[in-house]
Amino acid sequence: MRIDHTHRPSAFWTTVLFLVAALAYVPYALFSRRAPSGSSALGLAYGIAGYGLMIFAALLSLRKKYRIWRIGRAQTWMRGHLWLGLLSYPLIFFHAGFSAGHGLARLLMVILSVVVVSGIIGAALQHYMPRLMTERVPMETIYNQIDRVQKQLLSEADQLLASLSPEKSEYGLIVPASGPTETMTTTSTLVRLAAATSLKLRETYDQTIRPYLAHRGSHRQTMADRHTSKAMFAQLRTVTPESVRPLIDDLENICEEKRDLDRQSRLHRVLHGWLLVHIPLAYLLLALAAVHAIMALRYS
Amino acid sequence: MTHPAGPASSTVQLTIDEQAITVPAGTTVFDAARMHGIEIPVLCHQQNETPAGVCRLCVVDVGGRAYQAACVRPVEPGMVVRTRTQEVEAARKTLLELMMSDHPAPCIRQQNTGDCELESLAQRYGAQEIRYPRRDVIRGRDDSSLTILVDHAACILCDRCVRACADLRNNFVIARQGKGYDAGIAFDMGDPMGGSTCVSCGECMVSCPTGALTNKVVVGQKLEWGTSCETEELLSLPVFHGVSGTFLELNRGSVMMRRIKKGEVLFREGEYGSTAFYILEGKIDVFIASPRAHVNTEKGARGFLNVLKNKLVGRQESPRPEENLLRTHISIDAPVELSYDYPVAQLSPGDLFGEMTCMNFYPRSATARAATDCVVLEMLRNVLDVLQKNKNFRARLENDYRLRALETHLRTVPIFASLTSEFINDLRHRVELVRYAPGEVIFRQGDVADGFYLVRIGFVKVSESYPGGELVLSYLSKGNYFGEIGLLGAGKRTATCSALDHVEVVRIAAEDFQKILQQFPDTRAQLEAISAERLRENQARFQRVSTVPVEEFLRQGLMEAQNLLVLDLDRCTRCDQCVTACADSHGGVTRLIRDGLRLDRYLIATSCRHCRDPLCMVGCPVGAIRRQNSLEVIIEDWCIGCGLCANNCPYGNINLQEFRVDGPANEELVLLGEGQEHAKKRARVVRKATSCNLCNDYPEPSCVYACPHDAAHRVSATDFFNQMVKK
Repeated sequence: MRIDHTHRPSAFWTTVLFLVAALAYVPYALFSRRAPSGSSALGLAYGIAGYGLMIFAALLSLRKKYRIWRIGRAQTWMRGHLWLGLLSYPLIFFHAGFSAGHGLARLLMVILSVVVVSGIIGAALQHYMPRLMTERVPMETIYNQIDRVQKQLLSEADQLLASLSPEKSEYGLIVPASGPTETMTTTSTLVRLAAATSLKLRETYDQTIRPYLAHRGSHRQTMADRHTSKAMFAQLRTVTPESVRPLIDDLENICEEKRDLDRQSRLHRVLHGWLLVHIPLAYLLLALAAVHAIMALRYS
Repeated sequence: MTHPAGPASSTVQLTIDEQAITVPAGTTVFDAARMHGIEIPVLCHQQNETPAGVCRLCVVDVGGRAYQAACVRPVEPGMVVRTRTQEVEAARKTLLELMMSDHPAPCIRQQNTGDCELESLAQRYGAQEIRYPRRDVIRGRDDSSLTILVDHAACILCDRCVRACADLRNNFVIARQGKGYDAGIAFDMGDPMGGSTCVSCGECMVSCPTGALTNKVVVGQKLEWGTSCETEELLSLPVFHGVSGTFLELNRGSVMMRRIKKGEVLFREGEYGSTAFYILEGKIDVFIASPRAHVNTEKGARGFLNVLKNKLVGRQESPRPEENLLRTHISIDAPVELSYDYPVAQLSPGDLFGEMTCMNFYPRSATARAATDCVVLEMLRNVLDVLQKNKNFRARLENDYRLRALETHLRTVPIFASLTSEFINDLRHRVELVRYAPGEVIFRQGDVADGFYLVRIGFVKVSESYPGGELVLSYLSKGNYFGEIGLLGAGKRTATCSALDHVEVVRIAAEDFQKILQQFPDTRAQLEAISAERLRENQARFQRVSTVPVEEFLRQGLMEAQNLLVLDLDRCTRCDQCVTACADSHGGVTRLIRDGLRLDRYLIATSCRHCRDPLCMVGCPVGAIRRQNSLEVIIEDWCIGCGLCANNCPYGNINLQEFRVDGPANEELVLLGEGQEHAKKRARVVRKATSCNLCNDYPEPSCVYACPHDAAHRVSATDFFNQMVKK
């Protein structure tokens, strides 16, 4: 979610709540006979409030699962998740009296910190990455369709080179016309290639281009780098006749599109990858916090 | 051809090409030569027509100061005629060259059959190399007639068609118009042939020496079933009285006689076809087999529990708020209306059905099955067109309509439900059935309101002008009406109505309409309410759209959209919550795809745009897709799943969904008769068209509601454009 001016009210009220909590904490910390702890009345209140906010933040995933329930717009829930989730962090610190504690309490503080930090990172990613993705992936497709589109690209490339075979038409190559004809239908012409040229083209395709197109996210391949790819296609153009240029152009465009798909995959993984840390730890946090609460109330 | 120049008994002696001959006085030189085996080339003259002497190809040397046109020059005693001197042949060749310089060689006739008379003569005279400049202005083609193609460029102004139409057929439709380079043939007052009073007899086409008038073959269609009818056999049927035998001869095989056994299905709803049927004997049941039920959005407790099973829901189970005027009948492509509750009707001898499918290639609107052993004529559109132009046939059809269908048709319009039978009887012979060719304007915005119209066949486009453009308000199909606002208001038309395809309307004159208003206060009240509502909407819309810089919108291709699903890509995390929410709302099948046109940082998702010109509404054979009052597109529950709307949508935003339903099929009910309770219940799969309905059961569409990142917005195209401009 983009954090923009529309978040001002949420930020304002979160700050107010934080200040209220902090103002209550100051005399409590300064004038109480014992050091602030979770077992005191105020400490317990901080703990309950903090845990409540954590539970509310976790409910977002449930809200997302049941999308069509009319229980508030998803973006309202998301704003609540962001700001109230963030508020839970200082409340827990107030609850613990800024002490890391021992055993389970310490573990909880560590997990909470990881969850909050991963959440902040996630919020930052969701703020910046969509724009980055819009700018860097002009040929964006639906993420789930990437494999399918990739296969289509591979098939298109194979099709382009299909006529390049010694068995068929003596190293002939059927090349599509470079542009639309007068009647707006593209035509193809058979270009006969010298054996050496044909071999070079086939070799480059089989050894470099095709493996790149066949594997998703093959960023280690030569073709993954735009400049290397450009140089390779430029070199191919020098060894092939002018009439084969449209085919080389098509191949280059296919590789460009594949690079876009790979880039989209990478950016998508970054954009959503942090959730792999954030969500399981958040659930673990809730579970352990419940255990902590029961143990603390039962045995203290 | 001889002329009454003198007594038939008197003869004239003359010499043609050194041959002494005797012919009756008054004979033309051309006929005299022909009678004695001497051929004189000619283009403008035929034996069965009065000669006109316009092509001058038949010039002969009669020893005078100038060459004479043999076709109009009567013989004289002692005349010496030379038809083949070098000079005469040179003059003919020059004439041919001049004509060929203004002729698209090879013309259509030459291409098809190789017998263009002009091009054959030019070849014979070696006049194919043209020394003269061709004309700069193209004369164009007239493709409006279903049976005859007019290529003005190939016309040599020989007037053979004019004489054939006037002298041989007494139709007087074709004449010359214009002068010099602008001269050409015209139909009526310069109308397109299809829109003129031409009855498509085909005489002009037979007479034409070039490819200017050619027979339009109904491409790709061949009637496979039934018995081909001989021309004489067809002409002996009362239905074909007055139809040109020449035409029937030219279109042999376009009419078949089919004998159908009881129970045999003629066609099924949703099937594509290209023929119309005329019942000669027997009775035919027509009915809709698809269940009348609409596709519902998940909501309430079901939505809450996320039971992702969308289903078809009947009117009673889930009434839709916008359907205040419940239609009691479903209009189909036949001279009957089907009752909503029991959509079955019977057709009898003399009924013509399947006209819309035949003329406009729309899918069949209902299933037709023989109720008894039947004999029907199945015909292609060229034959149907000729029949509809035939005065006898039209008169009979209109009479049948007035007697049998008008009352039902009027009663299917909810506002006319209260008209008394006496009043309808009185009205019966005063209503007018008017036909319009595709594109023809029925009336224009601002015209004086002089009638009220009910659509009988085809689709009428209702549009409104506003600064810089046109907004299509609706496409009206059979069962809809228009023209009431002008009659109720200031007497001026508030919108332009034009025929989208072959349209036939029932016109009630203003005086009769006023009588309805006076005698039936209920009808008046309803009409006034509807009229006021429509006017209010028009004004609101005018204010909305008049602020839009239309050119910019057109450039972006978004002019047609009323409501866009816009995703702000700077906010969208590609989480697909919008898509899954849509699927959850609609039985697990999404009605939006997160892909489409990208403008700056916005993605216009693939989802119904509720277009200003909703092409999806064109052609629905049962009129099941329509606009709501808020101008959003809605699919009614009697959709038969033919898929035409999905094909028509240029943006791929309408889908066909399959639903499993349990219950007796209508087909079975028809066999068993109305009210049968023992019909076998069977599970079957039916198809219904679905498109984004903006989750109209909810205050906000689910896709927007479920977006956690404030990226999805349903916006009017105007707002979207204004936002783009502000940026």
